[in-house]
Formats: sequence, C-alpha cells, structure tokens
Amino acid sequence: MKQKRYVTGIVLVLAVLSVIVTACTGKAGKEELVLFTWQGMFPQEVLDGFTERTGSKVVYSNFDTDETMLERLSQAKGGSYDVVVADDYIIEQVIASGLASEIDKSVVTNFGNINPLYQGHFYDPQDQYTIPHGAGIPLIVYDPAQVDFEIRGYEDLWNPALKDSVALIGNYRVINGITLLTMGKSMNETDPGVIAEAGKKLLELAPNVRMIQDDNTQNALFNGEASVAFLYTSQVTRALEENPDLKVVYPQEGLGFGILGAFVPSQAPHKDLANQFLNYLLEPEVSRQCFEYNGYYNTNKAADAIVTPALVVPESVTSGEIIQNVPGEANEVYDKNWIEFKAACGEG
Amino acid sequence: MRKDRWWLCVAPLYVFTLLFVLGPALYMVAVSFATNRDSGYGFQWSFTLENFRRMLDPVYLQCFYQSFQLAFTTTAVAVLIGYPFGYFMGRLSPRGRKILLFLIMVPFWTSSLIRLYGWLIILQARGIVNQALMGLGLVKEPLKILYSYPAVLTGMVYALLPFMMLAVYSSVEKMDWSLVEAARDLGASPAKAFFTITFRLTLPGLLSGIILTFVPSMGLFFIADILGGNKIVLVGSLIQDQLTRGSNWPFAAALALVLTVMTSLMIALYRRITHVRDLEGVF
Repeated sequence: MKQKRYVTGIVLVLAVLSVIVTACTGKAGKEELVLFTWQGMFPQEVLDGFTERTGSKVVYSNFDTDETMLERLSQAKGGSYDVVVADDYIIEQVIASGLASEIDKSVVTNFGNINPLYQGHFYDPQDQYTIPHGAGIPLIVYDPAQVDFEIRGYEDLWNPALKDSVALIGNYRVINGITLLTMGKSMNETDPGVIAEAGKKLLELAPNVRMIQDDNTQNALFNGEASVAFLYTSQVTRALEENPDLKVVYPQEGLGFGILGAFVPSQAPHKDLANQFLNYLLEPEVSRQCFEYNGYYNTNKAADAIVTPALVVPESVTSGEIIQNVPGEANEVYDKNWIEFKAACGEG
Repeated sequence: MRKDRWWLCVAPLYVFTLLFVLGPALYMVAVSFATNRDSGYGFQWSFTLENFRRMLDPVYLQCFYQSFQLAFTTTAVAVLIGYPFGYFMGRLSPRGRKILLFLIMVPFWTSSLIRLYGWLIILQARGIVNQALMGLGLVKEPLKILYSYPAVLTGMVYALLPFMMLAVYSSVEKMDWSLVEAARDLGASPAKAFFTITFRLTLPGLLSGIILTFVPSMGLFFIADILGGNKIVLVGSLIQDQLTRGSNWPFAAALALVLTVMTSLMIALYRRITHVRDLEGVF
C-alpha cells in the first residue's frame, strides 16, 4: 500500500515536470496555428504537412454556420483565431467590421497562383484581405444520348427540343439570375423593370421544365425523368460518379458562383504563421489535396493541371458573378417571377 | 372533489387553448397588418394593408384558385371512393370489419413522407407502372406520369382517403337498419330507401369525412411539392416560401389569415346546406 502511494507520487511529479518542460519548449518557438472553418474542409495530410514544414501544430476549430463564425470572431475582437475560411457574403461583413487583416504578400508569394476568375469580387474588390479557397458553381449537366444538339449555355435550355425534359434546382435567385445572364444583364440586377422582363422570358422556359427540386436533383437524370439538369456543385459531382458519360456545360453566358475565402483575423495571435499557411494552401499539390477532398471547384490556377479534371473550370470561361442581397423592391419582383414561373410550369 | 371545484379540471385545457391556439392565432392576425422590413429578416409594427393588397395580384389569386380546386377535386374523389367503401365496410360481419379496419391502419405505421417517396418509385419514368405498361406492349415510350396534376391528385387522395372511409364507416355502423326494413316493407324501392333513410342518417359521417379531407388538403403542400415537382403552387407552399426564403412574415401571416377565414367559411357553408349540426368525430 505504502509502495503504491510512493509510485503515484513519482508519477505526479513527473507529470508536472513534463508539463513545465513542454510549456517552456512551446514558448521557445513551436507556435500553434488555430484554423477556424466548417468541419470536413481540410484533409488531415494537408494539416500534417504544414506541421512537418513549420513545426507548428494546426488546431482545427469548427463552426456550423457563417453567422456563428462572425459572432465568435466579433466576441474575440478579431483575435483567438489565425486563419478563417468562410463564405463570400459573410467575409464582406467581416471586412466591413474591421475584423480582417491585410494579407502580407511578401509572405504569400504564391498569390499569383490564384485563378483571376475568383478575384476582385464584391466582398474584397482589391484582393487585399482574402485568398479564394474553393468555389461552388451551379452547372448544366446533360445526357448526350438523349439530347440531339450540343448545349453550350443557359439559352439552350429554352430550346423547344427540350420540351418537358429539364430538371432545375429550386433557388429562385439563381434561376432568375441565369435568365438575366441570357439577356446580357447582371445576376444582381436591381431595376424592377428589367427583372420583370426576365420574368417574362422565364415564363417561356416553363414548357421545358420537367421538375423543380433542391435536393438530389441529379436523380432525375437517372430515373428517366429528365435529360438535362441544372445542378449545384455537389450534385454535378454525384451525377458524374453515377454516369461518367454525362456532359457538363460551363455556360457561355458566364457562371454564377459562391466563393469560399480564407483570411487572417485582425488580431490573429500568429499573423506571420497564418500568412505562411495561406501561402501553403496556394501550393498546387496542397490545393489538389484540399479540393479533391472537399469537392469544391479548384480556385488555384497552378493546380489546374494536376487536380481531377471535373473540378477545373475550363480556360474558355472568363466571367462569373456572385449572387448578392438586393433591395426589397427588387427582391419582391424576383419572388413574383419565381411563383409565376412555377405556376406556369404546372400548366404545361 | 367538491361540486364548485369542477372548473379546476377544465382550467388547464382552457389555459392551454388560450396560450397555444388563440395566442398564436391573434399574433398571426397582428403580424398580417405589420410592415415587412426592406432588407433582411424581421418586420416593423406599423399598420399597413399592403399585405392584403399584394394578394390581389393575379399570381397569388391563382394560387388560391389552384389550392381550392385541388382540395375540391381531392374531396370529391375521396367521397366517390370512400363513401361506398365505408358503407359496405359497415355492413360486413364484425370479423370482416376488424380485418378491414386493421388494413386501413397499417399504412399509418410508416411516415407519410416515406409512403410518398414510394409513390415516386411507382410513378417515375423507369418505375413499376411504366415498366408494366411497356412490358405489356401498351406503350412504347414511358409515360410522363410523375410531376403532373394527376400524380398530385393521386397522392392527395391516397393520403386522405382513410379519414373519409372511417368517418362514413362510423355512422353506417351506428345506423338502425330496422328503419330501412320498415321503408322497404312500406313499399319503397331500394334506391328510395337508401336516399330517404340511409343517406340522411349517414350524412353526419359523410360531412365529417368531407371536412377531414377538405381542410387538410388545403394545407398538404408537400405532396404537391414532391409528386408535382414543385410545379403546382398551393397557398400552403406559398406561405412556407414567404416564411423562409422570401423572409416576408407579414405577407405569410396575411396569406395564412385569408386561408383560415376561407376554410372556416367553407365549413359553415357545408353545415348550412346539409343542416347537420353534430359532426361525427369532428366537433
């Protein structure tokens, strides 16, 4: 009994000593990088690779929604976290609230690797604060065995040959947006008159619409209901897994997309390390690992050659737009267009 | 318990009703007169009739028309199938009744949403119906059955038919058949006996069946969304849309208010026409 106590004592002393030793070595230079993003955004080997390179461990901290991220970051007054990856629209608010710091381009030497398609957007027009880390892009997918002409853009969805055979995702702004693109207008048009015109054009699409659905829309291509589908990124990926013969169209009128951006908070504890991490993410091999893991479109031009071809937007695509909030007056017309459109689809 | 304390037993019910039924209903009425905020979530407490004016737009009127039309058709089909079913079920032996009752209940053990997906599998282009039709050589190309009005109607009738059957059955079961025998003895034809006696006596059951079918069918928008491919816009889906995507709560409240008032009027009208006061199982 006495002996046991003695052993416990030794173990305790050793434990305390080891803590002190680690704490000291920690101070000596092995910093930890706190990464703040959704779960499942980075494969473990990418994080391990950074630790190997710099000796700094990456601590992965999660949030569920962009709004939670903003709240936590505001509470921490721009501190606590070193690198944050979130959606475009929330980053606009982060920057406006002064919670992001400018990227140190002397450290981020791979900055030139970024595909310019994903630069200069509304949330960071001068590309001072963010690097894009993946994009979600709704695209047209069709079965060439069932469609006897080549689909090149949104306009082709209106082709009478596609009567009752198009499946659409149910996002009212995206569908209004692609109609505006076929008219040479912006997806974020705010003039109610122009939006109403788009509504009229949208009604002409109705006879071609087989179904509108937001979840698992790609299934319509497999159960024989539709030969053409306008799908979200994840659905495009799943459709191709099921049937590699399907054709993916990057519409010639331009893309509508959402961008995930990485930034360093204004009071990040380890700013230099954070910039090193951003630079690391822009290495082609690291980007490849990330995008093949999380399934978003590759935003790193230098990785285009090595990443799965399905995740690369072709060279020919040079324009893209992000959907943003519009004033209530415009939104009301978008809303009305959408209901009129759905009702018209039912009449066909 | 002393006699003057009887209210203690009912008080919880009243409190519950006031808090969770009347309260939200009044809140809905109030919100329907509020002003929507120009951007983002929320609304302001400033009085406006704008939400009701907006409803006069042909798009929204069309949704109301579509909803009523679908509800009427669903109810009519449910009556045509459910009334004879309930009638003959009531005339079966007690054992037969039990078996049928059990068979009607079985589907309720599965979630209605899952049963709806079952219909998707049955009706889709490469589904059972089309495969059978093509196998029999009746059609060459698969028929486009899904995502259409008949598909939605099928789903609605399927979901609501048991209510009609059970309501009719319960009043047939209670009927005093000696009245029919007396009528026949006095020389009435079977048809005359049916319409003057049986039909009259089962009317309360039929009427509760109609209400149990009609009222929910005004709100069952998810059937139209799934089997109709979101192409048939009902008031129910419009309200859901305005609460979530449209983030226009006052408009959603106004739509819900008008729907509630119209449905209540409909019930009052039924009762007026048929002179039925007591509804089986409803009130």
